[in-house]
Amino acid sequence: MGTRERRDRSNQADRDLSGIFHSAAAQFSISADSVSLSAVGGYGRGELSPGSDLDVLILHDGSVATDRLTEFVNALLYPLWNANRAVDHSVRTRNETRTTASEDLRVAQGLLDIRFIAGNRDLVHSVAADALGDWRKNFAKKKAGLRASIVERAERSGELAFLLEPDLKESRGGLRDINALRAIARTDNVPVSMERLASAEALLLSVRDALHTVTGRSRDQLLLTEQDKVAELLQFADADVLMYEVAKAARAVDYVMDLTWHRLDHVTKKSFFLKNKSQSIGRGISVTADEVTVDEAGDLSDATLGLRAAALAAQRGLPLSVDSTMLLAANFRPLPTPWPRSTREDLVALIGAGAAMIRVFEALDQEELIQKWIPEWEHVRFLPQRNVLHRHTVDRHMLETAVRAAELTRTVRRPDLLLVAALLHDIGKGYEGRDHSEYGEELIRPVALRMGFSETDADVLGTLVEHHLLLSATATRRDLDDPQTIEFVAQAVGDPGTLELLHALSISDGEATGRTAWSDWKASLVADLTSRVHDYLVGKSTERPAPQLELSNEQLARVEKGELSVTITPRDEVLEISIIAPDQTGLLSNIAGVLTISRMDVRSARTRSHGAGAAMTWLVALDANANAPSEEQLHSLIAKALQGELELSRKIEDRIRSHRQFPGIKVPPPVVRAMNDIATNATVIEVRMHDRPGVLFTVAKAISRFGVDIRAAIVATLGAEAFDTLYVTDINGGALSEERAALLANQLENLLITQ
Amino acid sequence: MKLITAIIKPFKLDDVKAALQAFGITGMTVSEASGFGRQRGHTEVYRGAEYTVDLVPKVRLEVLVDSGEAEKVIDVIVKAASTGSIGDGKVWSTPIDNVVRVRTGERGPDAI
Repeated sequence: MGTRERRDRSNQADRDLSGIFHSAAAQFSISADSVSLSAVGGYGRGELSPGSDLDVLILHDGSVATDRLTEFVNALLYPLWNANRAVDHSVRTRNETRTTASEDLRVAQGLLDIRFIAGNRDLVHSVAADALGDWRKNFAKKKAGLRASIVERAERSGELAFLLEPDLKESRGGLRDINALRAIARTDNVPVSMERLASAEALLLSVRDALHTVTGRSRDQLLLTEQDKVAELLQFADADVLMYEVAKAARAVDYVMDLTWHRLDHVTKKSFFLKNKSQSIGRGISVTADEVTVDEAGDLSDATLGLRAAALAAQRGLPLSVDSTMLLAANFRPLPTPWPRSTREDLVALIGAGAAMIRVFEALDQEELIQKWIPEWEHVRFLPQRNVLHRHTVDRHMLETAVRAAELTRTVRRPDLLLVAALLHDIGKGYEGRDHSEYGEELIRPVALRMGFSETDADVLGTLVEHHLLLSATATRRDLDDPQTIEFVAQAVGDPGTLELLHALSISDGEATGRTAWSDWKASLVADLTSRVHDYLVGKSTERPAPQLELSNEQLARVEKGELSVTITPRDEVLEISIIAPDQTGLLSNIAGVLTISRMDVRSARTRSHGAGAAMTWLVALDANANAPSEEQLHSLIAKALQGELELSRKIEDRIRSHRQFPGIKVPPPVVRAMNDIATNATVIEVRMHDRPGVLFTVAKAISRFGVDIRAAIVATLGAEAFDTLYVTDINGGALSEERAALLANQLENLLITQ
Repeated sequence: MKLITAIIKPFKLDDVKAALQAFGITGMTVSEASGFGRQRGHTEVYRGAEYTVDLVPKVRLEVLVDSGEAEKVIDVIVKAASTGSIGDGKVWSTPIDNVVRVRTGERGPDAI
């Protein structure tokens, strides 16, 4: 089963056909100058599988009378038919061939591989030259049709990498896609990485040969019943290994296909090969021709570069260029343990980008970078799961789960934990004799700690992975009216925060698995169970909004005076900025605004008013192209802002606009909730939204305009999601009335949605 | 021949299945169903979002049996599915003209 056998088979067919051709020509006294026999398609490339049709084109120069030509063709084909050979033939002149090719995409593609077998050699060569010339000349027009046919085929035949019974030829990532890519490569419009496809094609062809041999037919669908026999014939350990290799090959094809279309879409009037203008979007990272690229001249020894580039690409909905991914792989440096906070956030921002993430993740995975960052990944990579519920291999299922989880980030307080749990919830699969949920819990804790999550967070991730099937299993199998059922789940889950994460994970996991595993019927049962467990846990728990900043007595005394002071302390890759300022209306929005226009990205903040002053601690990351201001500079900027001398609104509008020029991804809309907190006698406003420049400025300004005081704020950025908690009081000092709180939340939400 | 159809609480499926198997029933069809009877739908408030559960999730189970066994099978199902509380479901039987086993072409009681 290999290239050699296919070549031998093709050569043998050539000899047989050539013999028959010459004897038929002699029989009907047809000059070998006026006709020729050629092979097209796969046979044209000299590759013949055991069950493949002989695709032949009989060319003639128009000088032979129609009757005689028909008799000649019959004499050529009858011996083949009698020998039970499947032949796909056509008889045409050079001009007819050209017309047919211009009308039929498949004919045009097949002709690109035309090969002379017998008769008039020049005739075949002219047709080959026409075919290639026309294909190149008309490609711009043919492109849309070609793409539509590829998409239509994928919809009809599914994806080779993920189907249980895929079609080796027709499925997405299969042999026909490879041919389409080969045809695109011949146009020289864009580079197509055909060398990446060589081993994939060789494998898929061998599997098809084995399938034809096993079934004795020419069908290309790899049915479950035949997978064992095919695996045995090809000397794979078992059918799982076979399907793993098929999935791997199909994914390589998929990846090149996506990339090629992306490149075709971005061929400007000039050639793709000409240098495109690039724009820097981060340290050592640019956007070139709508692909995110890593600067070759940059610091490639920076271990955090890869995930940073990936996060930027995914969040902008752009692919990571293949050259950059290869560059990253070639210059791979292990990340420190634990990972820096920014790298963990980059991972979260990558996973949280929704459907746009898959392409970027796939690129990293193709270069085996994911398993270098997370070694546990290697075991589930391309891992088939041969059961009726699943559509996808384990790794792809987890990616699909993460895509769904990204839509549910507003339903939880810790979107970062939800996304990481979604990406790794089945990491314990494929270990003989181990329950995948239990083993997954053992695996994920060390992974979480390596990523730099706290012990508490690692515990939550462990609980999520261990119990990711708990809600759906319990909801359908246990009596929800029985208090013991509720107690049992509550004990396993522990607290309301983990419960909301587990609920979101169950929904994402179910939706990603498919309709058989997740129906509205099941969703309603799971929601019912969750709400009962939630009520039970809330009754017992002391869950509170994010706690306010703690200050020592000495600090409190300084804050009370309210004299402006600024200190900046570098901490790893972020700056810690401590500010004491006189308390005044709009203080938070002014300072958030100053930081934003100084090109600092707020990662987290805690602020608290006390007496005449307010204390604030900010952690900010500096923009790629910005310099850190000195304490004096920042001090003077803040002083000006507090005097109203900086046109903050206009400047921030400018920043938001310049941020908007990048293509974005679809994100769930912002959610604002208000609740009264008895302990602090304040109203707590919680804002959950996708992060972008100036969020805090906008939020704080809107709240101040509403005529309430911001007593304290806790700002957190988790990957690409912002989670802000603000304690506000009415002018008289107490919590807002319920109606006013709801009105404020509503106004704020509308403002954030429309902005 | 009779077709016994049972609408039961989802979590009772395993019990009913086990009881029917113990009785000697070898085949059944199970599907997800929603509906309401005396146990009306109710309104849930979950994390601020209100949603109406007007249809309660149930499991629908169908078994083909010989007419002589129908009453006994109904008893087995009722016993196994009962919790005594509202919403336990219903069981009914329908007369059946003919049954064919697709693989062998057997007809009537032989096909059950």
